[in-house]
Amino acid sequence: MSQWEPKIVAFLCNWCSYGAADLAGVSRMEYPPNIRVIRIPCTGRMSPKFVLGALREGADGVWVSG
Amino acid sequence: MGLVERKATHRRYAQAIPGAFAITKRGTAPCRATCPAHVSVQGFIALTNDGRYREALELFKQDHPFPGVCGRVCTHPCESACTRNAVDSPLGIMYLHRFLADTDRASGNPYVPVKKPRREEKIAIVGAGPAGLTCAYFLAIEGYQVTVFEKLPVLGGMLTVGIPSYRLPRDVTEAEIQVIKDLGVEFKTGVEIGKDFTVGQLREQGYKAFFIGIGAQECKRLGIEGEDYKGVYPGVEFLREINLGNRVHLGDRVAVVGGGNVAMDCVRSALRTGSKKPFIIYRRAVEQMPANAEEIEECREEGIELMTLTNPTRVIAENGVVKAIECIKMELGPPDKSGRQRPVPIKGSEFQIEVDAIIPAIGQETDWACLTDECACTLNDWGTMRVDKVTLQTSDPDIFAGGDAVTGPATVVEAIGAGKEAAVSIDRFIRGEDLFAGRRTDWTPVQDVPLDGLPHVARNPMSLLAPEVRKTNFNEVQRGYDENTARAEAHRCLECGVCCECYQCVAACKAGAVTLETHGQKPETITLETGAVILAPGFEPFDPSRFDSYAYAKLPNVITSMEMERLLSASGPTGGHLVRLGDHKEPKKIAWFQCVGSRDLNRCDNSFCSSVCCMYAVKEAVIAKEHAGDDLDCAIFFMDMRTHGKDFERFYNKAKDQGVRFIRSRVHTIDKVGDTGDLAVRYVTESGELKTETFDMIVLSVGLQTAAETVELAKRLDIELTPGHFAQSAPFAPMATSRPGIFVCGAFQGPRDIPQSVVDASAAAAAAGEILAAARDTLTVVPEKVPEVNVFNERPRIGVFVCNCGINISGTVNVPSVRDYAATLPYVEYATDNLYTCSQDTQDRMAEVIKEKQLNRVVVAACTPKTHEALFQETLMAAGLNKYLFEMCNIRNQDSWVHKHNPDLATQKAKDLVRMAVAKVGLMQPLKEAQLDVNQAALVIGGGIAGMAAARALGAQGYTTHLVEREALLGGQARHLFQTPDGAPVAARLDQLVADVSGDPNIQTHLNSEISAVEGFVGNFKTTVKNGAQEQVIEHGVAIIATGAVPLVPTEYSYGQDSRIVTSLELDAKLKADDPAIEELGAAVFIQCVGSREPERPYCSRVCCTHSIDSALAIKARNPEANVYILYRDIRTYGEREYLYKEAREKGVIFIRYSLEAKPKVSIENGRLTVRLTDPILGRPVEIDTDLISLATAILAPDNNALAQFFKLPLNDDGFFVEKHAKLGPCDFATDGVFLCGMAHYPKPIDEAVSQGKAAASRAVTLLARQHISTIGQVAEVNPALCSMCGVCVSICPYSAPSFRAATERFWPGRAEINPVLCKGCGLCVASCRSGAIRLKGFDTDQIFAQLFALNEAS
Repeated sequence: MSQWEPKIVAFLCNWCSYGAADLAGVSRMEYPPNIRVIRIPCTGRMSPKFVLGALREGADGVWVSG
Repeated sequence: MGLVERKATHRRYAQAIPGAFAITKRGTAPCRATCPAHVSVQGFIALTNDGRYREALELFKQDHPFPGVCGRVCTHPCESACTRNAVDSPLGIMYLHRFLADTDRASGNPYVPVKKPRREEKIAIVGAGPAGLTCAYFLAIEGYQVTVFEKLPVLGGMLTVGIPSYRLPRDVTEAEIQVIKDLGVEFKTGVEIGKDFTVGQLREQGYKAFFIGIGAQECKRLGIEGEDYKGVYPGVEFLREINLGNRVHLGDRVAVVGGGNVAMDCVRSALRTGSKKPFIIYRRAVEQMPANAEEIEECREEGIELMTLTNPTRVIAENGVVKAIECIKMELGPPDKSGRQRPVPIKGSEFQIEVDAIIPAIGQETDWACLTDECACTLNDWGTMRVDKVTLQTSDPDIFAGGDAVTGPATVVEAIGAGKEAAVSIDRFIRGEDLFAGRRTDWTPVQDVPLDGLPHVARNPMSLLAPEVRKTNFNEVQRGYDENTARAEAHRCLECGVCCECYQCVAACKAGAVTLETHGQKPETITLETGAVILAPGFEPFDPSRFDSYAYAKLPNVITSMEMERLLSASGPTGGHLVRLGDHKEPKKIAWFQCVGSRDLNRCDNSFCSSVCCMYAVKEAVIAKEHAGDDLDCAIFFMDMRTHGKDFERFYNKAKDQGVRFIRSRVHTIDKVGDTGDLAVRYVTESGELKTETFDMIVLSVGLQTAAETVELAKRLDIELTPGHFAQSAPFAPMATSRPGIFVCGAFQGPRDIPQSVVDASAAAAAAGEILAAARDTLTVVPEKVPEVNVFNERPRIGVFVCNCGINISGTVNVPSVRDYAATLPYVEYATDNLYTCSQDTQDRMAEVIKEKQLNRVVVAACTPKTHEALFQETLMAAGLNKYLFEMCNIRNQDSWVHKHNPDLATQKAKDLVRMAVAKVGLMQPLKEAQLDVNQAALVIGGGIAGMAAARALGAQGYTTHLVEREALLGGQARHLFQTPDGAPVAARLDQLVADVSGDPNIQTHLNSEISAVEGFVGNFKTTVKNGAQEQVIEHGVAIIATGAVPLVPTEYSYGQDSRIVTSLELDAKLKADDPAIEELGAAVFIQCVGSREPERPYCSRVCCTHSIDSALAIKARNPEANVYILYRDIRTYGEREYLYKEAREKGVIFIRYSLEAKPKVSIENGRLTVRLTDPILGRPVEIDTDLISLATAILAPDNNALAQFFKLPLNDDGFFVEKHAKLGPCDFATDGVFLCGMAHYPKPIDEAVSQGKAAASRAVTLLARQHISTIGQVAEVNPALCSMCGVCVSICPYSAPSFRAATERFWPGRAEINPVLCKGCGLCVASCRSGAIRLKGFDTDQIFAQLFALNEAS
């Protein structure tokens, strides 16, 4: 169980969180590589279907940030 | 300020734009400047210090082929010039490169430079001395076929036959010559040019160029009687014989005549060949000997006598063999031309010394037998070759010369420098290039190296063989540095040039952005033809190190506010972790001291207020508490709290609520508390009590000032400055300097914050635009448009471009495997990787590949779309593809940079991201951007100062402008004002502005008019203007809101009950009217903050302090005897308005502070008007009988609701309009095409209203000038067939893009539709549409699901 790593899908707002994730890179911060980011124009675009879709595709967690 | 060590190569700061790296250079280090071969000395020393000996040697050998030879025999001018001389003693530079050469030689794999491609031209070098060998070395590297001709049987010239081997062992010279042989240079020894071959014959053999480096091998004669007797050996000949291995018997007593290195070599060689008592005869003093100091010292150690101030006069012989030498004593007379004291013989002091041999060593000259008739080159009076100083070319174009043959006897390193320069000339000569162009001749060394406080570090001594061991043989005396000593010595370097010029960056930069040319960049003068100049030179923070009492320079925990900003920044030196710099302890108590370098004439010359410090200190305190937790105790010591900006007062109140302490006191001393690093602060409270409090850290809120170089610039530009060194301007033209055509913005206009600077910048642009209106678009270049390929119904053909980003991505992610993986994905026709995908050549290549492979979709896996999407989209357009057939995937910022310790998983992530992007891009469709014509007319609402300034700026730039004013007159509130703070009446200038507006044919003024309806959107507004019963519809592209503000009608302080109680504006009317009552006043009282900074109106009205002080001064001017009181809470005369406050105090205006809790009380008893309050300093009640009370009433927003709704603009709690961005968009609205200025934004004085009016016009012109605007393609679209007309989209959209079709429409009446011009593509309506009728192009549901479906197909 200790080897298990969750798969996380992140929906990030283009204007804030996506830029913040870029800045984390510029600042050379490190975080685990088990996250896949999908850029959306605004969290207003977020639909519950996407959360369900991500979970159905095997994500263990979905993160919406904006 | 230095919070962190910064390397010479650095990124300026995390958010710097451009975000590129910079190299700091102070100049050329003196060592390099002085070295005749210009070796990058600081560079090889830095590399040595770093333990990179091979790189250090390679760097040295870029400029000089003899590090080992010169490491032993150089006269080291570099060390004489070393900046370290001023501290302790110079670096052992030659010992360091000797160490490198010895290390290289001992490695068994000596460094041989890389040759450039072979060139067939043959070059002849005459003379295998240091000059000739150096020239051969550099020409061989250039690829030429080089032959060296040498008269002697050995190579090296004076290196081999002139310098004894105890100084320069043969094997050192041979090893370095071997490298030249390895470079392919051919050597012919025992060949004398002029005898065995002539230059003419060599020309016939195909030699294209010659270098003459035959040295000066013939000894100069002493010129005295008896010089030809046996036993007189010329020095150079003597050394040559010994060095060639021939034994020379001189006898025991040998006189060597001369004081140079050759003389020293002769005398020490004589000692080593068995002479018992060799000695030196020299005509000057020891201090004037030209020999190296260490040579002289070693002579003495070996017991050799130096007979100075002695000159030989005659050789005495017996049977033709030398027996004695007659000398005369000398004394030093006046200096000669060389600056040395001339030796003068002392009459009658002749004496004789018995000797067995005499060696004259007083200089050499050249034997010119090589110059045969076919040579045109000539000699000068000194018997040396005449050459051009820079190119070393002789009168024969193909013959070059250098070394002793040109200079007369000189040093090895000078000969090497000449050989190197000649090689450059010969290469250019053969290529047919200009010999002179761009050659560096100016080697001025850097001067301003900071030396304060440098610790003394002794030079590491050279280890020597003991004199008794060495003096009988030719073993090398100097033993060289070992590695530890070399590193220690290299560490002493002061890095004078900052950048050491080691050129490792040139090798490291894969993009070729840093080159040797980059390192050679020089300031250049560029001449630009321009119609206007805008000055935005900014400010410099005040340097508090001169204040002893604040001990900024001494105590590490006293920092400036600028340093505090960095400490609080996530990109700062501690990553935003708040610690003391002194000991990295987390502070528990921090104090801010305000007005450091502002409002201060005693300790500095800045008597102005810096405007921004109060607010930034409050901000820093609040952020510090956010970082460190609420327990952090923050105290701000201040005089007046000046939070006069929009929403600043609220922030101040909130800070107080959060526990930030505000202490009204100016601190006079900081004391250190033992060795704790803590700081004790002594201050006096308002009530006069002396207090001491201890803090962990103290922040000095430093002010803004104009830099000395900006003052210089102003002088050069001939513009006038204020007493505070800011640009002089007038309130009605704040961006204009005293010189027409030169405008100013930002902190050079006066100390100001970001919003004001942004406003001023736009205003300056408008002012320049007004005078340049006729030239608009005359220099515009229109890019060519490539017709778009129709990809409709085509099967996707996807190209994937994976970027290495140098090593930024490929250092972590396995790029080739990502590329190969991408090629296997469905519909991918082409996959490649690029070193830098964003480089211009890759872009060109990408466009070609798109056409060649007929790609119709593109994925770039690289950095972030936030910075690079637009660039790649342009490439798509250049290849004829619609720019929306594109997807970027972020494998740098969100992958390689953040997972650098996980390369395998990062590679896997990159593959996943590429797969998801490929899945999405396949579904992308070409999108259209709506083109929209911009109606070329503007509407300005409000005819006050700001509105008129905006209208003027628009009219002057040729745009039709409608100016709508509710009243019957233009002018707004300014019509009530008496004078501006510079003492000029408002009315005259206001009338002029009204006349300018009325006289402008582009401006149509609509008086007595109001807006009754607005339709449309950016570019195409239709506004109904109502004048009484008359209505007119105006079509316009942009609108400017300049609706101003109104004064509060006070209910306090008995206003309205007595005619002597007036508002500020009513007093202005009296002053304007020259009311004689003013001159009769016994006393006048001004009460500040009437209605402002109250709980129900928590903002500062910004102008009232200055206004009241100005009026108080006007009263004092008319009636100096009047007692004038100003009752205030904080005086907020920001910027240079502070001078008025100072003047008022000087003129006797009495300022008494009151607090919100204890406001003044006004009473009217029997006609007696009295104000009562408690003086906080005296702590006692004060009663003032007065004849006038002026109330500084608050400035209120009028009812803006209707207008706000017409244009869909937000209002804040106080009723003022809310701009797009408080700092960066102070004149814009979130609604496109509508702009804001004047008091509709916030209360402000005339200059700021003019500035913002012009700024709003400038912002509007950015739209008008484009004539058409394109909207984004990623917009929402309704499928009307699915629409259920619920209206959620219509109600939810922040931009009012959705609407219902009219019920009368033929198709889909009543269904929703979305105006693509207004849609910002946020997708809110898409997510909220319960019928699924709306889709967002470019972020369509199927596209996002395609990304999700591709999540898990891991390979």
